Amino acid sequence: MLIEVKNLVKEYRNEDVITSVLRGLNFEIKKGEFVSIMGPSGSGKSTLMHILGLLDRPTSGVYKFDGRNTENLDDNELAMMRNEKIGFVFQAFNLLPRTNVLENVKLPLLYSKKKIDAETRAKKVLESVGLGHRLEYFTNQISGGEKQRVAIARALVNEPEIIFADEPTGNLDSKSGIQVMEIFQKLNDAGHTIILVTHETATAEYADRIIKIRDGEIVGDEKVHNKRRGDGNGQLK
Amino acid sequence: MASNKVRTFLTLLGIIIGVTSIMIVFSAGQAVNGLLNSQISSFGTNIVETEVKVPTDKKKSGTSGEISSAVSLSMGTQITTLTLADMDKIDQLDNVIDSYGAILGQNQITFADQRKTITLFGANASFINIDQSKIAEGRFFTDAEDRSLAKVAVIGSKVKTALFGDSDAVGAQVKIGNLKYEVIGVMKERGAAGAGLDFDSYVYLPIRTLQKRVLGINYVLYLVSQLKDPEQSDATAQAITGLLRDSHHITPDIDPATGQATTNKDDFRITTMQEMIKTLSTVTNAMTILLLAIVAISLIVGGVGIMNIMYVIVSERTAEIGLRKAVGARYADIMGQFLTESVLVTFVATIIGVILGVLVSWLISVGATSQGIDWQFGLPFYSFIVAIAFSLLCGIAFGLMPARKAARLDPIVALRNE
Repeated sequence: MLIEVKNLVKEYRNEDVITSVLRGLNFEIKKGEFVSIMGPSGSGKSTLMHILGLLDRPTSGVYKFDGRNTENLDDNELAMMRNEKIGFVFQAFNLLPRTNVLENVKLPLLYSKKKIDAETRAKKVLESVGLGHRLEYFTNQISGGEKQRVAIARALVNEPEIIFADEPTGNLDSKSGIQVMEIFQKLNDAGHTIILVTHETATAEYADRIIKIRDGEIVGDEKVHNKRRGDGNGQLK
Repeated sequence: MASNKVRTFLTLLGIIIGVTSIMIVFSAGQAVNGLLNSQISSFGTNIVETEVKVPTDKKKSGTSGEISSAVSLSMGTQITTLTLADMDKIDQLDNVIDSYGAILGQNQITFADQRKTITLFGANASFINIDQSKIAEGRFFTDAEDRSLAKVAVIGSKVKTALFGDSDAVGAQVKIGNLKYEVIGVMKERGAAGAGLDFDSYVYLPIRTLQKRVLGINYVLYLVSQLKDPEQSDATAQAITGLLRDSHHITPDIDPATGQATTNKDDFRITTMQEMIKTLSTVTNAMTILLLAIVAISLIVGGVGIMNIMYVIVSERTAEIGLRKAVGARYADIMGQFLTESVLVTFVATIIGVILGVLVSWLISVGATSQGIDWQFGLPFYSFIVAIAFSLLCGIAFGLMPARKAARLDPIVALRNE
């Protein structure tokens, strides 16, 4: 089991007011799954993703990642796990400004202890997302869809166990959005575990399974019967 | 940093000015020291000077005593106890090679139809060996001429120009007072030698000639002794003190606090050049340190500027920091990144400051030299080390807090900041 969550609770305390964001979640995600976490804004889905992505810690409950209890890991250990096992794709791309595409993709390798040729590896990953011709471009010189593909390449460069995508199509036109989702599906077909966070049912349905969240609680966890698929040209089949 | 060149440059300016000032202070300190040393060396470093002084009644010696002595002398008090006989005794001391006595007088000198009031400088024949003065033409007078009260004169370069112009002076007859003297030599130009002495406009006479034939006295104003070993000058000064107290019949007061003999009853004062150089370099070093302290403050102000801009940069790059943390940067990675940046920026400013400082120091020396001041351009090697080390220290010290702020950012908060 890649992810095991038991009674996961997250509360924010502001002076004496306690706000519960996650109220005792339980679920598991296996290696190789493609799961959407879906819910309206304010439902707690982003907080959940931050905890699952080891960017944040739960207030209580157990979170086992890859069989390991994460509770006792210190900040540096969490940073190393993020570096080696997790890839992130954000709605706003979060690329470094005034830096070229290749350097952006190499960034995680800068903090990696693995001994790999960063240049070769980054080029290979960029080619796999169809950006082999954009290596020297600066991030302000490419389109939104291309930016998100750079971000995906960056998430993949360290060969992570799992990729978290937080509203990856939110800032894209529909054609680019479909292309990005196609890439995720291809990655999943190749064996990558992917967790997609979104508020749109249409986007969520690219996954095999949808976990629905509302007010910090799971209100549904079911398989997708009519999985969406792109036709390879940014159109739906 | 590179993205906002004007802002970066303005920030660097503080450090640049600070480092430039440090270099200028170091260079000026060295130049002033050199200037003073060369002035003192023009008298010779291996000499001890014994000059007359008015004894004070007060128990305390030191500054106030010396001031009252100078005042008394200027008001016409004559101390007549220091003589050439004292000099002969001093010459017996082991560490003394030779000495000369000197006395000054004023009289009129006449050549052809020209008449001038000049300063007469009487000295022993050994003056030319002990003093830094050189003969340009002819020769200096001899000890035999001195003892026989010969009517010979050696004239300073300015006197030569004033009286003779380009024509030959050696061999000419001049009248000093009512007596005719033969000019036997012309001194080489020496330049101003501090203390307001202008050796170039003196007329040099054998000391006994001046004492007996012109002034009608038999004392001297001061004695200058040349030493074998300058390191022993303090001991020699002590020996001369004892010797003169003996011959002048002075029983010194004892300072009850220290049990040491005081100098207030003495009618002479002894100065060693070693002592003068030491005192002067203490003063210039103290000045340099004081100036450096002031300049260091300006560098600290520059450092605060760096800290300010680093805080701005950290907040501008919050999203970047968040991303770096998300992809695995640890506390130390972020800390290192921002510290490196502030040190790098400071380093660039330091290098510019050092170059500017050297340039300005050089310009100052060129300017001063063209005004006739002996201002040597030079920077001690340690000044580069001090300037670079101190400014890099500023870079680290003032980069530390902003870098810590960056490294401590919560990645989630940072990521939201897009």
